[in-house]
Amino acid sequence: MLVQALGKIGQTLVVLFIVSVATFGLLKLAPGDPVQIMLGSEYSQEAYESLTAEMGLDRSFLVQYADWAINFVQGDWGTSFVARTDIFTYGFKEALPVTLTLAFFSLSFAILIGVPLGVLSAVKKDTAFDAGSAVFALTGTAFPSFLLGILLIWFFGVRLGWFPVMGYVSPWEDFWTGIYHMILPGLTLSTYFIAMITRLTRASLIEVLEEPYIAAARARGEPGWRVIWIHGVRNIAMPLVTILGLQLGTLLQGTVLTETVFNLPGIGQMLTSAVLGREYGVVQAGVMMTALLFIGVNLLVDLSYPILDPRLRDRK
Amino acid sequence: MTETDHKKILAERLSARFGRRAVLKGMGAGIVAATAGGSFPSVARAQQSGHLKIASIKVIDTLDPHFTGFLSAIQIINNIHNGLLKIVYDGENVTFEPDLAETWDLEDDKTHVFKLREGVKFHDGTPCDAEAVKFSLLRVKEGEPKSPHAWKLALLDEIEIVDPLTLKLHFSQPYAFLPVALNGSTGRAGTIVSPAAVEKYGTDYGRNPVGTGPFKFVSWRENDAIELEANTEYFEPDMPKLEKVTFVLMNEASTALAALMSGQIDGMTDCPMQLVDQVEAFPKANLYGEIEGNYTFLGMNCKKGPFTDMNLRKAVAWALDRETLVKQAYFGRAQQAYTPISPPMTDFFDPDIATSGRGQWFDLEKAKEFRAMAEEQGEIEVTYMMAERGPVGTRVAQTIAPMLAKIGIKVNLELIEPATWVKRRNEGDFDLYDFEWVADLDPDETIYPEFRSDGAWNFCGWVNTEFDELCQQAQVILDSEGRKELYYKAEDLLMDEAPIGIMAHMPIYKVFSDKVQGFQYIPADLVNLHTVSLA
Repeated sequence: MLVQALGKIGQTLVVLFIVSVATFGLLKLAPGDPVQIMLGSEYSQEAYESLTAEMGLDRSFLVQYADWAINFVQGDWGTSFVARTDIFTYGFKEALPVTLTLAFFSLSFAILIGVPLGVLSAVKKDTAFDAGSAVFALTGTAFPSFLLGILLIWFFGVRLGWFPVMGYVSPWEDFWTGIYHMILPGLTLSTYFIAMITRLTRASLIEVLEEPYIAAARARGEPGWRVIWIHGVRNIAMPLVTILGLQLGTLLQGTVLTETVFNLPGIGQMLTSAVLGREYGVVQAGVMMTALLFIGVNLLVDLSYPILDPRLRDRK
Repeated sequence: MTETDHKKILAERLSARFGRRAVLKGMGAGIVAATAGGSFPSVARAQQSGHLKIASIKVIDTLDPHFTGFLSAIQIINNIHNGLLKIVYDGENVTFEPDLAETWDLEDDKTHVFKLREGVKFHDGTPCDAEAVKFSLLRVKEGEPKSPHAWKLALLDEIEIVDPLTLKLHFSQPYAFLPVALNGSTGRAGTIVSPAAVEKYGTDYGRNPVGTGPFKFVSWRENDAIELEANTEYFEPDMPKLEKVTFVLMNEASTALAALMSGQIDGMTDCPMQLVDQVEAFPKANLYGEIEGNYTFLGMNCKKGPFTDMNLRKAVAWALDRETLVKQAYFGRAQQAYTPISPPMTDFFDPDIATSGRGQWFDLEKAKEFRAMAEEQGEIEVTYMMAERGPVGTRVAQTIAPMLAKIGIKVNLELIEPATWVKRRNEGDFDLYDFEWVADLDPDETIYPEFRSDGAWNFCGWVNTEFDELCQQAQVILDSEGRKELYYKAEDLLMDEAPIGIMAHMPIYKVFSDKVQGFQYIPADLVNLHTVSLA
């Protein structure tokens, strides 16, 4: 067990190292000069040189990387040159919770809508309902989320005036207002996943419903809902969780657009403005957090298997 | 050079101020009498109420007036700070008036005397006196790290403190440009910051600004909002009206407009031209916007590549169909430009410029004549760099490409990312690019730093020493007529040798919901909120 855990941690560290070197290198290779961007159109050569030195950009690539890596590991993520704030506070304490909240809501929507829809489609296989849900799912996967976001804003926000069209309120501080603000962005980001989960649930459940233990349950005279929701759905939990873990990358990608459209101050917006402004430290921090998140979630997925499937539990 | 009566010019400038003040006072008294029934004579402090939320959709780099390079930042900075002088607009003319100064006088043509208002305090409670003003000016002129606006005070020799409220600025040459240097362009050299706060925050001042202005800085949350609250000790009577102001930081203009229409925000500090139709169709919003001191242009590389050939540049300049450009690239809202000097510079702009024969305009025959004189007669392939997001869009470039095809120039549009665009422009690595110089108040800042032979923003690399001399002469005389003559000559050289093809003067729009009252529009892209209230 210990060996396994150490192996996992070692793997994680190697991945993080590769990610950090790649990001750092790519950023430096990308043309564009952060000092010029920060100074705008009016500046003197002296101002340019003084800022370059202040930012430490006059040193060699390796020195800059080593300096960054040593500080990063010690929890000193540096200062954002544009924002003039501590990157750890900005990225980890301010931006990350926003993105996590958005991701949490989208996933919740996706599961709460996608699973029942998929189950119903499987049960009512080859009916009009099934066909309708297939069309819905196909549209959902094909529809670009930013366009959907704008349409939702104009219909539900402006025309009907039901929901706020922008802004973030932390659900930890003001629960209902927070949720209220998350409904449109959450829906926007979740459409793709609702569709995906619906299709996946339907396909897996149809397969599961052919299994002998379902027939056995029916033969025991268990009520129909129990057969489907307990015996059936429990057995599709594993493929569902696996796919969701792997699709987390897609979800995080989606937050970039969703955050921009709904003006949420999360990691996506942070990364976009940092890349455009060549804020090396901020980009680096954003990518590292994303990588950690990805690794962390997939670790959780691994850990959840024994819970979902008793056969995988250690028998001692 | 003829003798200039500086006092007279100054008196003329100031008379407008006193005239206007008297009118405003009269109006104010009338309102008080009508609403309060005259029961309370002169309440010294305003009752602040209301929370204004206004979207800011452009990048804000810092709230430090001496270091910013963006107008979007100045819009906010101006609500927190005051300057020695301020920009005012009476519906026709843009002028400068004393702000923190009570009076502004010229002892001789090289010495400006400022007498400060008494009892003004920074938000941190420290006094705003001559020492503080000197500190701020020196911070711009020779502070560390270097201010990008230091050049504006390069001619400042000495700052003499006469008494705690009086300063004399001694310049090495007559400096007509001073009011513009203090208030103009994308920085604020003449804005006064709290010395105690600069000491306390150092380079983080831009995140913790402390001024004397109508609003105090409260917080800045990244990609989210900048919050201000009323300065109840503000020196202008009965101002500010609002209790709180939030600048909501947004990337998407269309989301901002949706938020305005659904009532989630009360205004936008900037409304892109493509959204103006929608705003006009929305009954509950007021649109503010006029042609401002700006011009857009097609820049040509005079240092390398095909456009080192002046005849080819002239061919391009005359081949640009400005009418089509205004219609397609600027949504029919801009005004065709003939030279850089723009309409709000009323002392210099010629309202009949279209028929004056000066400048550049569309004439395909003439373009073809110049093209025929060019060294290279075969088809020429050039690179036109453009950026999707950031400094410029791609609309202008796409409209121009077919126009140049008509004179045998094949344009390769190259879409690059904004950071790369800036870098390549600054290094002169392009054939063509388009850009705009905005929020200019005076011909000096509109052409001199942009086209001076060694100018910092002379990205086209055009060199003409006669042009440099004309601008230098114009900088040191105070007489508008004399300056105008010199600037016209300089402009004519510029338009004739065509390092740029001039295109349009643009209107800059702001939107407020109809709940917002008392906004005073100034055509210098400012959003001063001290007079604003919410219904």
